[in-house]
Amino acid sequence: MDFSVLNEALASKSFDKIADICDNLILQVAAEGVPFQDEWPFTIHLLGHIYVDDINSARFLWKSIPPAIKESQPELVAAWKIGQKLWTRDYAGVYEAIRGFDWIQETEVLIAAFSELNTKRMFELLLSAYSTISIHDAAQFLGMSEEDVTNYVLRQGWTVDSDSQMLTVTKQAIVREQKLDPGKLQCLTEYVFHLEH
Amino acid sequence: MSSVEGLVTQIQGRSSTASDVLLLQNLLKQADDSLHSESTRLLPFLDQLDPSMHSLGYLYFLEACTAGPVTKEQASSFVLIIARFISSCVAEQIRLAPDKFMSVCKRFKDQVLLLEEPLRGVAPMLTAIRKLQSSTEHLTTLHPEFLLLCLLAKCYKTGLSILEEDIFDVDQPRDLFLYCYYGGMICIGQKHFLKALELLHNVVTAPMSTINAIAVEAYKKYILVSLIHPGQFSTSLPKYASSVGQRNLKNLCLPYIELANSYGNGKIADLETYVQANKEKFETDNNLGLVKQVVSSMYKRNIQRLTQTYLTLSLQDIANTVQLNSPKEAEMHVLQMIQDGEIYATINQKDGMVRFLEDPEQYKSCEMIERIDSSIQRLMTLSKKLTIMDELMSCEPLYLAKAGRERQRLDFDDFDTVPQRFNI
Repeated sequence: MDFSVLNEALASKSFDKIADICDNLILQVAAEGVPFQDEWPFTIHLLGHIYVDDINSARFLWKSIPPAIKESQPELVAAWKIGQKLWTRDYAGVYEAIRGFDWIQETEVLIAAFSELNTKRMFELLLSAYSTISIHDAAQFLGMSEEDVTNYVLRQGWTVDSDSQMLTVTKQAIVREQKLDPGKLQCLTEYVFHLEH
Repeated sequence: MSSVEGLVTQIQGRSSTASDVLLLQNLLKQADDSLHSESTRLLPFLDQLDPSMHSLGYLYFLEACTAGPVTKEQASSFVLIIARFISSCVAEQIRLAPDKFMSVCKRFKDQVLLLEEPLRGVAPMLTAIRKLQSSTEHLTTLHPEFLLLCLLAKCYKTGLSILEEDIFDVDQPRDLFLYCYYGGMICIGQKHFLKALELLHNVVTAPMSTINAIAVEAYKKYILVSLIHPGQFSTSLPKYASSVGQRNLKNLCLPYIELANSYGNGKIADLETYVQANKEKFETDNNLGLVKQVVSSMYKRNIQRLTQTYLTLSLQDIANTVQLNSPKEAEMHVLQMIQDGEIYATINQKDGMVRFLEDPEQYKSCEMIERIDSSIQRLMTLSKKLTIMDELMSCEPLYLAKAGRERQRLDFDDFDTVPQRFNI
C-alpha cells in the first residue's frame, strides 16, 4: 500500500483532505484484492471524516470496520467516541472524549487540530445562537475552564456581568467584498435574449 | 482448439485500427457460440491477450469464461481479472459490445457479493460506468449496480458522486427505478433529505403500466422522508404520475399513510403510541430507523410552527407546547435547529427567552448572485433540451399517426370541413 499521499497531507497539515485521500485509497486497495484491513489506518481515516464535520461518513466507516479490529485498537474506539459525542450533540462530551485518551504522537497532531477547529466552530455557533449565556455553559461549549473562557470571550469583545455570571454576546459585523464581475452584464444580456426567443 | 487459437491470433493482429476492430467484431460475433461451448478451456488464453490493447477480444473471451456458474474459489480469481480488465480496457472498443460488457460487469457484482466483499467492487464499477456511458447524462444498467455496491459496502459518500449528475437518457425503465431507489437510500444515509425526496419522487411518479415492488418500497420511504424534511405529506400524487400508481400505491402502504396522518395532528404522544403499535411492520420493511427520525423531527416541526406565531417566547413555554421535559431540553433543541440552519433565533439565557428572527439572507451578496446565476443557467439548458425533445416528438411518425386519427374523429363529430391532414 502506498501511503505517500496520505503522509504528505498529514505532514503539510492539510487535514481537510485526509478523508478524501483515504476514501480513494481504500477503494483502490480493495479492488486489487489486497488484504488491507490489519494495516489500514482506520483511526486517521475516521478522524479525517470527523475533521471535515462529515459525521455520517464517519458513522458508516465505523460500521464497516470488522469487530476484531475494533477490539484490538483502543485508539480507534476512542476516536469513534468523539464521533459519537458529535452525533448526539453532546457538546461538552466532545472535549471529554478528546482528553480522555492518551493519543499516539501521529494522531495527536490531528486531534489537536480538530480540537482547535471544534472550539472555533462552537464559538461561531454561540455567536449566532445566543444573546446572553452563562459562563458555566460557555465553558462547557468551548471546552475551557470558566476563567479561561471569560478571558477568551472578552478578547472577542463580549462583556461579563459578574453578578449574574452571565456573558453578553457581541456580534461583529462581517464586512464582505461586494464587487461584481462586469462579465455578469453579458450574462444578463444572454438571459434576456433567451427569454425573448 | 485450433479455431480458438486462430481467434487469438486474429485478436492480436486486428486490434489497432478502428476498421480492423470492426472486422474483428464480426469475427467474434460469429465465433461467440463456439466460444461459449468451450468456455471451460478459455481461461489460459486470456494470458495471451493484453486487456489494454485487445479490449474487444478480451471482453468476448472473458464473457464466455464467466458464463457458467462459479464457485467461491473461482470467483476470487475472476474478480481480480475482471477488475483489472475494467481499469485497463479501452472505452471505444468495449462500447462496440455493450451487452457483453454489461453482463461481465453484472457477473462481477454477483461474484463480489458471493465473496461478501462489496468494497472490492465499488471502484471498478464506477470506472465501468464511466467507460460505458456516452456522456454523464446517460444512465446505464450499471448505475444501480454501482449504487447497490456502495450501499452494501457503506461507501455512501462515493455513491453521492454520480447522483449529482443530471440524467436525460435511460436505456431500461428498471434501471431508472432502481437507480432512483438506491440513490434515495444513499441520500437518506447522508441526510441529504431534499435530494432523497427528489429521487424517490421520480420513482413514484415514473410511468408504469403495472405496479412494481420498487415503486411500493420507494413510496414508503417517500412518505417518511417528506415528513422529516418538508414536514408535510400530501396523499395525492401529481397529475403526471401514472394512473396505476395513483390508484394502488396508497393502498399498499396503509401503515405509512396513517403515520403521516398522525404526524399531521402534531401530537407527539399519539405518534409514539402509533409507532410502538406498528413497530413490527416498520421493522420488517427495514424502515424503523427512518420512522424514529420522523418521530424526533416532530419536535423540530412543532418548534418551527411556533416561529410563525411568536416573536419571543420563553424556553419554559416552548418546553410546554412542544412537550419537552425541561426548559434546558428546549434550549438544546432550539440550539440544534440554529446549528442546522432550520430556524433563525437567539437564545437569551439570562431571561430564559428565545427571540425568533427573520432569515438574515438579503439576497444581495455576491455568493447569492452566483447561485441564482447558476440556477438560471441550468434552467436555460433544461428548457433548450425540452424544446429539442418537443420538436423531435412532433416529427415522430407514430405520434403524428395517433394525433391524426384523434383529429379525424373529432373533426367528424364536429362536421368540420377542414381537410384531413396528418394522414401517414
